[in-house]
Parts: sequence; structure tokens; C-alpha cells
Amino acid sequence: MNRGPFIFLGVLIVVSLSWALTLVKPISEAGNLSAIGSGADRIPSLMTGAEHQGRETYQELGCVACHTQQVRAVSGSDVERGWGERQTVALDYIDQSPVFTGDNRFGPDLTNVGARRPDVDWHLLHLYNPQITSPGSNMPPYGFLFETRQIVGEASERALDLPQAFAVAPGYEVVPTRRAEALAAYLASLNISYEIETAPSPEKLSYK
Amino acid sequence: MNLICNLFSSLFPTLEGSAADRDREQAIDSSIRFAVLGLVKGSVFWLLISSVLGLVVSIKLHSPDYLGDSEFLTYGKVYPAFWNALVFGWLFNAGLACCAWILARLSGRPSGNSGLLAISSGAWNVAVVIGLIGIFRGELSPYRMLEFPSYAAPFLFAAFGGIGLWIVLTFKARAYRSAFASQWYALAGVFSFVWIYTVAQVMIFCLPAQGVFQAVVASWFKGNLFGLVIAPFAFATIYYLIPKALGQHIVGYRQAGIAFWSWIIFSSCSGLAALVSGPFPAWVASVGVVASFGLFLPITIFSMQFLSSLLASFSKIWDTISIRYIFYGVVALIASTLLIIVGSLRSVQDTVQFSQFDDGVRFLFLAGFAGMSFMGALYYILPRLLNKELASAGLADLQFWVQGLSIFVIALCAITGGIAHGSLLNGSTADAVAILQSTQSYLVLATIGYAMFLCGSMAYVVSFTWMLLAPRSEKEKSADLIKSAPELEYTPL
Repeated sequence: MNRGPFIFLGVLIVVSLSWALTLVKPISEAGNLSAIGSGADRIPSLMTGAEHQGRETYQELGCVACHTQQVRAVSGSDVERGWGERQTVALDYIDQSPVFTGDNRFGPDLTNVGARRPDVDWHLLHLYNPQITSPGSNMPPYGFLFETRQIVGEASERALDLPQAFAVAPGYEVVPTRRAEALAAYLASLNISYEIETAPSPEKLSYK
Repeated sequence: MNLICNLFSSLFPTLEGSAADRDREQAIDSSIRFAVLGLVKGSVFWLLISSVLGLVVSIKLHSPDYLGDSEFLTYGKVYPAFWNALVFGWLFNAGLACCAWILARLSGRPSGNSGLLAISSGAWNVAVVIGLIGIFRGELSPYRMLEFPSYAAPFLFAAFGGIGLWIVLTFKARAYRSAFASQWYALAGVFSFVWIYTVAQVMIFCLPAQGVFQAVVASWFKGNLFGLVIAPFAFATIYYLIPKALGQHIVGYRQAGIAFWSWIIFSSCSGLAALVSGPFPAWVASVGVVASFGLFLPITIFSMQFLSSLLASFSKIWDTISIRYIFYGVVALIASTLLIIVGSLRSVQDTVQFSQFDDGVRFLFLAGFAGMSFMGALYYILPRLLNKELASAGLADLQFWVQGLSIFVIALCAITGGIAHGSLLNGSTADAVAILQSTQSYLVLATIGYAMFLCGSMAYVVSFTWMLLAPRSEKEKSADLIKSAPELEYTPL
């Protein structure tokens, strides 16, 4: 232990073994999946351009700090909560880079939020001020994704339909920016309800 | 026992101290003063920044409207900024300052190339600033501890390369053939960081692995960053400080080799335990669980060595400010490692997964173990480096109690709050908003902890700046000040 090269080699070997065993091996075994089918039946389904932009906004705002995108069927109560019907598997993520699997759930899991909340307007209201749609939530408001402006002539048809308690001054309207619309479109698109045969689900697990 | 004592005195021929040794130590200190002080200044600055960010993060958790209008300060950006400032800012600067000084002292020769250390540590801090600006601008990646935008990575890498090169050169130029445990750990930390940072950058950003495997690489990197880089720097500090400041050899030093290699082996995989039940290969998480359990071996040896050595001179622990910090660090090391081991168990994961539990354990490990050890070491190093006495012993004392208590409060809130949150979230179908409301008191209490932590950090900033700026007294100007180690330590009246 009195020689630098010995420590260097020892650390190099240990870390390389750990790298080879836990990263290289699984990636070479299962890290080269390809999509099943094509077109509208493709698994996993493809995203539109606007949804891609929304995904970038999701990453920029750091939503992953509070929301995971992974459903567990083998443990936990994700399925009972209605967050998904089956375990998420590696195939679900092959088009994603980076992935938003996350490791904290101050907010709910969002893997299937598009199935629970398909309405884009709900997401816009929720992003503008979460207290409108989920009173008591700890989620911060993303007011900066919206523009409060004076109504000139006719009101915009994209303006938010705010409830009385959250209404802005008369003569004014709240209009989502393109980023807000893209983000809401992305959230409403999150849905992996397609079937993957190998993915564990409560029904399949109960047969065992 | 005699054998160990002989070994010890051969490793530390300067412990007794003679005029010639004093001159040599002063020559070593003055050769690296500028560079190490630069690192210390960086660590003080980043400690303050991360304390402020930590307070903002904890307030935002229970009061979402707080600073809610600013796009630059959303929770999702401040949270990664806090952890990155804490680790790459505070702990890296403080750890490298301690390791650089310890290695220079152990090598027994004045460093001829401290300019390299000064330039590369300056570059490191610039790189961290670039990375944090990237996070606030929204160019962050979603992986823990890899949030810095990819354009900051080459700067970080190059700067660390310079610091690492200096550490290797200093080790190579040592006057004694033997090497002490501190030197092994400092070298291991440097080698590991270069390797794991390369792997993470290449496999996530340059030639990205497919889908979820990026998250596996990120988890591997995070575990190794804490276990193979931050922790070794802290071990290097503890192994050096206990004999030096306490005048007490490390009990059971012969087992240090086993502890070293078993720690390196098991912590190189233990970070993967967090991937349990996810869309990842199940056996990868199992390797992580097994490796976490392997940590029992090194942690037993560390507990035996450090606690026995410290308790052998128990009365000195409370009289010597730097050793008091080290004692806190050792207790936090044992507690957090046991929590890491227990937390890797499948049944515990079923309760605490995706809750704040992991953040609490991480904070205890990073701030409690590594941070407090570095802080204690700096209270030992600074008087020698600056040839001045501690500006105010009372302030250092205040900082110890405030910061020690706040780390305990923050970790306790996150761990117990995480268990309360996780058991409802993972074990029931109760409404997610209602669950969070029920754990609100933990979040509010954690804010009090972070506010105290900020107060402690400010005490440190004042204490450090005061010491830096105060003119040397007549007594301090005479070389006699560095007479023998314990006299400079703070002793209460």
C-alpha cells in the first residue's frame, strides 16, 4: 500500500469491474430494444412535434424533481391508485433521451397522466395555478408561462376560463404562451396504455 | 501495541516537534498557502450559497407561492442547484483543501508546483459557476448530481485533472517511502472521480445508452460520487486529524487496509440499490442491495478505529474544537451508513421509495459526515496556514452547536417525514394532496433546520473572514507560535 501505482491499479480494477458488471453487461443484454410495429400501432407510440417541445419545457423547469414517470406493479400501490395498469418496462422508454424516471414523488406519477386527464385545458389551468384544480397542492404556480393582457377588440379564444375566485381584472385575459400549450399537450399525451406482453401487471402476477 | 506505536512514530516523525521540523513545516505551509487558501475561500463561498439555496428549497416545499413568479427560481431548478452547490462547491473545495494540505504535510517537502493547484482550483470554481448558471437558465439534465449542462463538463473535468495531477505529483515527491491511510484515500478519491465522471458523461451525453439505462448510469454515478470521492476525502481527513490533533494513534491501524479496499469494493455498487422495483433490470438493484450490505464490513472497522481512538482521549474531544467536529462526523458516518444499509432492504424500500428519506440520509452523510469533518480539519489547518490564532473561539463553538443541531434536525425531519409520507403513498390509495398536507409539519420543521444551518454558515464566514483580515499580533509574528500542535487548539477557560 506504499506505492501510488498499486492504489491506482486497485481502484481502476474495482471501479472497472463495477462498471462492466452493472452497466456494460445489462446494456449489452437489454439496451438494444427496438419498437414493435409501426405507424399508429407502434409500441411505444410516437410523439408529435408540439409534444416534443413540451417535453423540453418539462426538462427545463425541472419537473422531474417532484414527479416520477415509472409505474410499479410488483410493489407499492401505484396500480390501486390508478397511476397505471402495468409495470413500466425498458421498452416504454426507448425513444426517450433523457428519461424522466425520477426518484421523488412530492407530486403524483405522470406516466399515464394523459389517460387520467386527457383534457389539455385542465392542464393549462393546473399549470397556471394548481390551486384551481387541486386545492391544497404543494405544486408551485407557473404563471410565467402565461400572459395576462388587456382585451383589445374580441377576447382570445385561447384565453383561460378562470373560475371567479382566480379571475383577473375585468377587461383582461390570461393567454397561455406557446411553451405552456406545448407542455400541456405533452402532459395530455403521456399514456402508455398499450399492451406489452412481458410487462408485469397485478393480474399476471396473481397467476404465479 | 509497541509495534503499532513504532509504526505510528515512523509515519509521524514530526509529532513531537523540534525547531528543524517547525521550520520545515512552515516551509511546506508557505509553499501551498496561496493555493489552499483559494480552495478554502471557495468552500466558504459555496457553503454560504448552498445554505441560502437550501433554505429557499425548503420554504418552497411547503409554501409553493414563495418566489413563484420567477422562472429562474422554480423548485425544479433551485433543488438541483442546492445539491450541486453543496457537493461540487462546498464539499469538493473543502475536501480538496484538506487533502492538499494533508498530502503536502505528509510528503514532507515544500511543493514546487503549487501554481498548478491554484490555477486549477480557480478553474474548478469557475466551472461550478458555469454549471449553476446553466441550471438556472433551464439547460439542466434530469439526472441527480449530473444536472450541470454538458458544456460545463469539459471545464469541470479539466480543472479536476489539474488538481488531481497536483495531488499525484505531491504524493510522488514524498520524502518518506511509506504511505499513510490519508494518502491512499486522497489518491483513491482523485482516481475514482476521473473514471466515474468520464463514464457518466460518455454513457449519458456523448454516446447515450438506450432509455432507462441512462438512469442506471446516473444512479451508479451518484452512488460512486458520494462513496468513492467525497467519502474518501473525508476519511483522509479523519485519519490524519485524530492522531495529529489528539496525539493519539489510530487504534487498530493495521486493519486500515481491509477497511480501505472493502469500502472501495462495496460502495462502488451500493448506489444501485435505489433502482428497486423500477423499469430497470431487477438483478442490477439486487447487486446494489448486496453491495450495501457489504458496507457492514468497512463501517465496523471504521467505528472500531475512530470511536476507540476518540474515546481513548475522551476528555480532549470537548476541549479541542477540531476534534469535536471530527467526532460529530464519525457519529454521522456510522448513523448514515447504517441507514443506507437498512434503506437498501426491499421491505424498507417498499415504504420509503420516492420519499424524502433518501435526501435525509444523503444530507446526513454529506453535510454531517463529510462537511463537519472538513470543517473541523479547517479549524486545525487555518491557524497553521495563516500563522494566526483562531479569531474567536466562541464563534467557532457557536458554529459547532448551531450547525450540528441543524444537520440533525434537517436529517431527522427528512427521514421521519419521508417514512410518514412514503408509507401512505406506497401503502394506501389516499389522495396525494391529502398525504402531503399530513406531512406539512415535517417540512416546516425542516425549514427551521435550514434557517439554523444558514446561521451556522454565517458564523463560519464571519469567523473565517475575521481570521483572514486580522493583523498578526506580536506573539503571532514570532515563529514560536507553531511550537507544538495542541497549543494552538481552542481550549475553554
